[in-house]
Amino acid sequence: MLNSGQNFDLSNSPRHRQMSTKGARAILHLDLDAFYASVEQLDAPALHGRPVVVAGPSSRSVVCAASYEARKFGVRSAMPTVRAKKLCPGGVFVTPRFPRYEEISSRVFEIYRRFTPLVEPLSLDEAFLDVTTSESLHGPGRVIAAAVKRAVKEELGLTVSAGIADVKLAAKIASDLGKPDGLVEVPPGTTRAFLEPLPVSRLWGVGRVTEKALARLGIHRLGQLADAPEALLAGALGRGHARDLRTLARGEDPREVVADEEAKSVGAEETFEEDLVGREALLPHLLGQAERVARRLREVGKKGRTVTLKVKYADFELVTRRCTLPSATDDGHVLFQAARAQLERADLCRPVRLTGVSASGFQAGRAEQLELFEPSPDGLTAATS
Amino acid sequence: MELKIGVQELARALARSQGIVEKKSTMPILSHVLLEATKTEGLHVSATDLDISVSSDHACEVLKEGKVAIPAKQLYEIVKALPEKDAVLKRASNNYLELKSGAAEFRIVGLPADDFPALPRFDKIQLVSVDPKWLLEMIDLTSFAVSSDETRYNLNGVFFEPSVGSLRTVATDGHRLSLAERSLEGDFQVKKGVILPRKGLGEMKKLLLEAAEGETRLGFAENSAVLQRPRVRLVMRLIDGVFPDYRQVIPRAGEKKFTVGRERLLETLRRVSLLSTDKAHAVKLELEPGTLRVLSHNPDLGEAKEEVPVQYQGEPLKIGFNARYVMDVLIALAALEPVAAQDVLLELADDLSPGVIKPGGESATIFTAVVMPMRI
Repeated sequence: MLNSGQNFDLSNSPRHRQMSTKGARAILHLDLDAFYASVEQLDAPALHGRPVVVAGPSSRSVVCAASYEARKFGVRSAMPTVRAKKLCPGGVFVTPRFPRYEEISSRVFEIYRRFTPLVEPLSLDEAFLDVTTSESLHGPGRVIAAAVKRAVKEELGLTVSAGIADVKLAAKIASDLGKPDGLVEVPPGTTRAFLEPLPVSRLWGVGRVTEKALARLGIHRLGQLADAPEALLAGALGRGHARDLRTLARGEDPREVVADEEAKSVGAEETFEEDLVGREALLPHLLGQAERVARRLREVGKKGRTVTLKVKYADFELVTRRCTLPSATDDGHVLFQAARAQLERADLCRPVRLTGVSASGFQAGRAEQLELFEPSPDGLTAATS
Repeated sequence: MELKIGVQELARALARSQGIVEKKSTMPILSHVLLEATKTEGLHVSATDLDISVSSDHACEVLKEGKVAIPAKQLYEIVKALPEKDAVLKRASNNYLELKSGAAEFRIVGLPADDFPALPRFDKIQLVSVDPKWLLEMIDLTSFAVSSDETRYNLNGVFFEPSVGSLRTVATDGHRLSLAERSLEGDFQVKKGVILPRKGLGEMKKLLLEAAEGETRLGFAENSAVLQRPRVRLVMRLIDGVFPDYRQVIPRAGEKKFTVGRERLLETLRRVSLLSTDKAHAVKLELEPGTLRVLSHNPDLGEAKEEVPVQYQGEPLKIGFNARYVMDVLIALAALEPVAAQDVLLELADDLSPGVIKPGGESATIFTAVVMPMRI
């Protein structure tokens, strides 16, 4: 825990009102450590402890991810592969397998969603969670972060770095500070003090140009930025940008965690501890998956018309079977019935390592208003009837 | 400028300007009214937002001719609050307006009259006499269907389509359409229809509502519409766009026709839609011989159902509608002259084809509404 012992005069200025401890949000930023490289190490245990670099095979490609072992040699993301090879000649260079990362990522996010529906994915390996209202169920943010880390480690073998704060900005910085496998909390009310000693480049929106502009004003730390006169900053950065940066530097970041509602499908899947054979063994799992999908559909207020069953056999061959329902649903039983019917179209004699059920084909709202005019390139012309 | 005027008369002039003057301060002069006093014509009051302008003449005792521009809002608030029946207005130096009524005195900061934009003049425009009640009715019967989606600007107004011996008004937002038609003598001398913007129609309605009687004349120029009433004139810029070919979407009579009491169906829809989802207002209509069942269903709130007796003997049909769209039509039909429609005629074909609503009886030719169903 950082800076937890410091006290603040909360009333020093009504304009930069600090968030009081009571009613403060609890925002988690979760970042999977060296995600792509960790997945590679996970899938090929021989790579464990070795410097792994995930990079395109072409000579012109760049590094997508580097394991911590490789980072010791100075390998970084976005570095040309050629250069990485020079820095780390003994490294294991692997071609990225995005479908696999997406699969693992969705399973990680599944774990996140056990704690709150308010999960805002930033990328495959990064997400914000708002666990403010989960506290009564799962305990304070710190406890939830520890539980998430434990679950991801136990179930998937990956480490996550967590940052906890009352604003997104501080949570993101905190997770970065503790990497790898970190857990850093910024207690409510201490956000500003937490930010003060950090370099301005930590702030979103401060790139090299802004950093230089600030350096010319003698501003290097966020604390200096927070205290700088607005007029001075406005001269160097423009009024809007200046105000935004200064507000952030003061630890005021009103941005909400926005759950990713634009998802095209909602799914649940599970890799079995040991391969399963036959209908009787698989159906209980399908039922559970269908119910989970239904619950998440209801959480996001959507109904799907298309039900997809995914079956991965023991030899990793993947098949999907889908059907369209007469009307959209968020009912677990209806989803299960559909998934069960699709299971009959799979080869039930082969051992299965994974099944998944997903719903898609969401309809906007519950009823769809029809158009009087058919849209056409030159405006409105033909009728629909 | 110096004049003496009845407070009520002045308040009426200023009231007309309130909906037009610009609230934003992009061009300060547009938040002002122009006061012009001449011994021959009395007080002339004008307001404009460059798209819509209104100007009117008011009887008064002009002591000295002249003109000045004064903030419309403040002047109106002051005039409404004056203690006596009469007021004396005098332009002082630096475009101040001195206003006295009884013991109350005001000095109001104005702007030079020359800053006020020149209002469009249409001396050659062909004005046609219209019945103000009918014009009002034709606006009321269509303007509710105007689109508020600014990206579909050609639907942001009511289409006025004159033809020989009649005038049509049509509005649509792409989901429903309403059309009113009245026979009309006179020739507007325009080749095609014109689109009058929503805001301008609102001002036109106000002027039509001021008095039921009095000569009312309407005219269309190339890019403007003009409404002339006794001692007041409204000019608005037309929407520069092509109105869609509405004739294509008015279906021929559907097979499933029935008559239903307007008030009864309106009340039923009001009640049943209380449980539809807030955005879509979806209701389901189940038509059977003798009965129309109106249902709503909302997984979060519950369900509602009501049966309405109808004169119908055909095949059953289930169809979904946005209750709001049907209710808008039924409410608008209350404006029908000379008496509100008691019964309405509904014509349906199938669950994905547009429904048609017309007033029952002889008024059927005056008004047609088309509403697209919802897929439920």
